[in-house]
Amino acid sequence: MSLSVTAYQHGIYPRSEALVQATRDVERGRTTVEAVDAAFDQDRAAFLDIQREAKLDHISDGLLRWQDLFRPLVDSAEGLDAQVLVRWFNNNSFFRAPKPNGRPTFRTLPGWVLENGIPESRVATLPSPYLFSRAAQFDGDRDTLMKTLTGAILVPAIADLRRTGFNVIHLEEPWLGYYGIEDDSWAPFEAAMSVLRAAAGDSTVILHTYYGDVAPHGDRLRRMPVDAIGIDFDETDAEELPAPWGTGLLAGVFDGRRSVTEAAGDVSEFVAGVVERLQPTSLFLSSGTDLELSGPQVAPLKVRALGRAAEMLREIL
Amino acid sequence: MKGGSSLLSKPLLTHELGSLAKPNWRVKAIAGRPIEDEDIAEARSWGRRLGVDGHEGLLKLLGSGPLDADGKAEVKRWSSRYGVRLLETVGLDVVYDGEQQRSEMYAWAIDHADGFEWRGSVRAFDNKYYSKAAVTGPISLRVPYHNEEFELMRDFARVDLKVPITGAYTIADWSFDERYYTEADRAAHGWRKRRRDARQTFIVDVARNLIRPNLEALIGLGAKWLQIDEPGGSTSPQELDLFVESFNESVRGLDAVFSTHLCFSDYNLFFPAIEGMTECRQFAVGFANYDSRELGTSSEARPGYAVLPKFRDLPYEPVLGIGVLDIHTDFVEPAELVRDRILHSVEVFSDPARIHVIPDCGLRTRSWEVAYAKLENMVAGVGLAKQSLGI
Repeated sequence: MSLSVTAYQHGIYPRSEALVQATRDVERGRTTVEAVDAAFDQDRAAFLDIQREAKLDHISDGLLRWQDLFRPLVDSAEGLDAQVLVRWFNNNSFFRAPKPNGRPTFRTLPGWVLENGIPESRVATLPSPYLFSRAAQFDGDRDTLMKTLTGAILVPAIADLRRTGFNVIHLEEPWLGYYGIEDDSWAPFEAAMSVLRAAAGDSTVILHTYYGDVAPHGDRLRRMPVDAIGIDFDETDAEELPAPWGTGLLAGVFDGRRSVTEAAGDVSEFVAGVVERLQPTSLFLSSGTDLELSGPQVAPLKVRALGRAAEMLREIL
Repeated sequence: MKGGSSLLSKPLLTHELGSLAKPNWRVKAIAGRPIEDEDIAEARSWGRRLGVDGHEGLLKLLGSGPLDADGKAEVKRWSSRYGVRLLETVGLDVVYDGEQQRSEMYAWAIDHADGFEWRGSVRAFDNKYYSKAAVTGPISLRVPYHNEEFELMRDFARVDLKVPITGAYTIADWSFDERYYTEADRAAHGWRKRRRDARQTFIVDVARNLIRPNLEALIGLGAKWLQIDEPGGSTSPQELDLFVESFNESVRGLDAVFSTHLCFSDYNLFFPAIEGMTECRQFAVGFANYDSRELGTSSEARPGYAVLPKFRDLPYEPVLGIGVLDIHTDFVEPAELVRDRILHSVEVFSDPARIHVIPDCGLRTRSWEVAYAKLENMVAGVGLAKQSLGI
């Protein structure tokens, strides 16, 4: 068995205690915007060092400035707003739900997303079109909204990202596992993914499911027009997925909601077993969910363990 | 203090739900920051307005420079006295101190428990964060953590008291688990059941070993009505049975009135699970946040209260505390709007004795000025409703 292993960290990374304090202080008028910017820069540099140390294959800025997964997209568009706080699935954390208030039109992603000082190869994280359409505050047909948000927001955002050196587009999709999907919505979801696949050109596209068991959707998922499907193995049992998998697999094997750091040896052994059973065409290694909710003490340990697990896995495979 | 049961049956009884904002003079004094003239002026102004006896002592204390531990403790006690008097002055039937002694509802409990270790800040939203702990050892109560404040209130308050306490489910849900669901469980066959069993054991341990001893201590000091706060109660709809079990394990067989506070959720999710919460004599629930600001008593006029029939039909017939004040906004609900929300609820229940009137949640995010105006109008709205109902 010979398979390359690509490791990276997706999603929002937790802010350090110093940055937490700085962002609190600036809201209370106790520090300056410049001081907060400096704190953001320090956190980004620290996260970059951790990823380098862990020898990850693609590098992220940790989305440290993102207030939630949707906010920079909403703020970069006309016709979208974000006010109401909504619980982020079954977590003690909340996001401001995007709300269409006109025809969504994208301008451009802010400079701090595109020119973030992170070396290539860069990984970008965006909401999946299905998540985006379901998390929105909206009374109309959500499949139509999915098509609109894909064409009007995600496609131009991906174009911005590609132009500035991002060559992995990681799409977060927790809605499918947590809430499921109506049969009629699969075709619009697949169509949206085809549009994004085309927009991404030769970039790698990953659709990453988490916060629920997606084994019942395994057959549809593996036919999605992406390079790999991400599976959170803390929610989905590998033995319940269809084999052979027939496409790429992102093994989500570090639990972003637990404070215990998984042993790299156990992880690599587990993933080797999954690979043997599912025979994916390519293999990516990452956390099951992003690491934001694991907090600043735990997340660095998980990223380092991710790097070690990838190294061990390369030896095994 | 009256018996909790007789108090509970008073039609359209009014009470608060817990936290008030902490005054600047309290925050600065505890943080060791300089007290400005305007802080002392604020303490003077509210002290006079609320008729806080001896508040000149507070002014002197605040003006005496950096405070030692005893001085800070005394400032906190003053803050509690001010909180109680504010709630009494607006005319509430049942009060507490606006949680002026506590750091925060989760952190306060964890800081007085054994078996937990802090794991740093986790973001709640935007630039708001909370400190999150992990359970790492056997859970126990280090020291009853509401006794001191209750004794202070018991001797100071002029009306009846209700003690708010963070519930077991919320404490467990807001903590990491490093003890119950192990790496061995995670790797084993049947991991889903193991995870569920571990979760249940964790939650029940918090109920039995942390919350219940606290309740017993308070009851021993004379507390009659204890409100279990569960903002995390509906976080996971799949775990509502565990939420109910945690409440029952916390209160079973204890001699007091127990209520629970739920807020900012899809309340439909709680049914039918809370049919098993038979020891809960009152549900205090936020509704105004979801309601229209237009007047009217019909169901159409009151969309935020659509779930009322489900609470009405609970077999053990609990009282429902209806939230009539939106705590997220400075909008001061007119007394007539409060009245209409009450009249609609009474009509649904066909019994004013099963309706209490409350804010949606604690008013800690509002200034004291706004909180005062809102609560004052709430009490005025109750008066209008009573007039209309002839009671």
